[in-house]
Amino acid sequence: MSKLPDEDLEALIGSFERSDWREMHLRMDGVDLVLSKDREPRIERSASISLAPLSFRPHSAASAAAPTAAPAPKAPIAVEIPDGWLQIKSPTLGTFYRSPKPGSPPFVEVGQKVTPDTDVCLVEVMKLFTTVQAGKTGTIRKVYPADAELVEFDQPLFLVEP
Amino acid sequence: MTHNPSTTRLYIANRGEIALRVIRAARLLGIETVLGVSKADIDSVPATEASRTVVLGPAAPRLSYLNTGLVVHAAKATGCSLLHPGYGFLSERAELAELCEEEGITFIGPTARSIRQVGDKLSARAAAQAAGVPITVGSQSIQDTTQALIIANQIGYPVITKASAGGGGRGMIVARNADTLRRNFDVAATAAREAFGDGTLYLERYVETARHIEVQVMGDGAGRAFHFGERDCSVQRRFQKMIEESPAQILPSRVRKRLHQCATDLLASINYRNAGTVEFLYDVDRQEFSFMEVNARIQVEHPVSEEVTARNLIRMQIELASGRLPPLTQQSIHVNGHAIEARILAEDPQRDFMPTPGRITKWQEPRGDGIRVDSALRSGASVPPFYDSMIAKLVVHAGTRAKAIDRLRWALDQFVIEGVPTNIPLLKVIVDHQDFRRNQITTRWLEDTLLPSFRGAEAIANG
Repeated sequence: MSKLPDEDLEALIGSFERSDWREMHLRMDGVDLVLSKDREPRIERSASISLAPLSFRPHSAASAAAPTAAPAPKAPIAVEIPDGWLQIKSPTLGTFYRSPKPGSPPFVEVGQKVTPDTDVCLVEVMKLFTTVQAGKTGTIRKVYPADAELVEFDQPLFLVEP
Repeated sequence: MTHNPSTTRLYIANRGEIALRVIRAARLLGIETVLGVSKADIDSVPATEASRTVVLGPAAPRLSYLNTGLVVHAAKATGCSLLHPGYGFLSERAELAELCEEEGITFIGPTARSIRQVGDKLSARAAAQAAGVPITVGSQSIQDTTQALIIANQIGYPVITKASAGGGGRGMIVARNADTLRRNFDVAATAAREAFGDGTLYLERYVETARHIEVQVMGDGAGRAFHFGERDCSVQRRFQKMIEESPAQILPSRVRKRLHQCATDLLASINYRNAGTVEFLYDVDRQEFSFMEVNARIQVEHPVSEEVTARNLIRMQIELASGRLPPLTQQSIHVNGHAIEARILAEDPQRDFMPTPGRITKWQEPRGDGIRVDSALRSGASVPPFYDSMIAKLVVHAGTRAKAIDRLRWALDQFVIEGVPTNIPLLKVIVDHQDFRRNQITTRWLEDTLLPSFRGAEAIANG
């Protein structure tokens, strides 16, 4: 169980107070923090962001994409989607991780049912981890990127059959 | 795709014509390029010419080009060992240079320390003073209106307020008397705070017959600096340059020589690395120049220096950063003829320079000896509304200033851009004006003399 250092907590609260956000929900390994400027918080899970614990490097960040990797093909590969099926797309450019930490099982497997608030993967940008949620209901039919692969903004990550 | 592990790869943290320049310069050196683009630039010309393009984020710059973490992540994950920041966007953010260094990426530009040192105007003034460079009569940072009034009395009116944290006209107010200063000091401080997050102001003497003259420098990072001549950028509107030329013919040769010496002395004294520009204000009446600021990046108007010195500065930047640049000597850098650049903007001068984004239906560039167009646009391309309105740089080079002006005038006539209104009609009027031809202009000329008559003429023509 990791603990949030006091100075980090103070910095977080300070940033939150100066921001125009009404609420903030922070989930880290072992820490679940809700900040709200309202008396009755109404946290929406889909708006929450997970930060990597400072002491814990779950993945060797971008080292997976070794500098020797050749530039990928320029044109995105056209993906056939059956009628009515949906895609979960990446909210940012970053490194795609299927599991919450190395060695642990993936968030979701092919064939698994998801609801809008199911966590499906992490996308990491310079050690800042964003949890991506399904945002839709259905069954995972395909995982497009490989684990630890660079994904781009708006790139399809999962195929979902409603 | 086959891959040679020894290939060097360069990330471009920019868009538009400068991204294209960097891609092409890298290609000359056998270096692969990765361009990070926003969603709005996926089909841009630079995106098709880069070895690889990655999509950073949505169109808004803050979510794409201005996001330091995203940019460095993209550079690292695509295996880039070099990063060129271009101009604008993150080019003068010390955090970017710092983050690159931490991640083992060579930042093509000065060190984070230099960026900070010259980025803060007061510390830049101190460095200039220490290097023996004349500085404008001015003050340290000022607390409030009362203190401003006292200091203004010591300097003598007119004075100009300037923001310690940045330029571009924000926080600048000219006061010709105490009353104006009293009424506007807080307004200027607020403007500076809004633009730069820091409302600190200082005062300088305001020179009425001023020209903006700057020196292009390249530093080796080890205490040596070389200049590539100077540029006169006095045709400005709201402190934004519209026409730049090299050399600055207004300068007597002894003043020019001293100007070059001051610029190189300053950047050498701080061990400045890579391309930088030292900007001066030149007082035509007194034949005196004084230091204004250092721009710690390659600038928009660098092509006029490239034309007169026959050097590819972007290529040199990459070579210097990657240790491939043969040692420079000042004696080997010569200035030949005269070059002028006109910035073509997607702005409508008849509607108070309102930006005019849209789809370009026809794009026909002028061609000929001594004519160069730096642009990332073509027929069918779009000018997105999210970014800077500059769509092309038209650069001419000829034996003399008069010939260069004639060539520019001809080239402006030949440049066909349809679909978005541009400032080309205004540029033609500037180039035709006798004040411009006789080189009798100041930094106030465009706004105070030309634009009022331009608007009047338009009103008559349309009336």
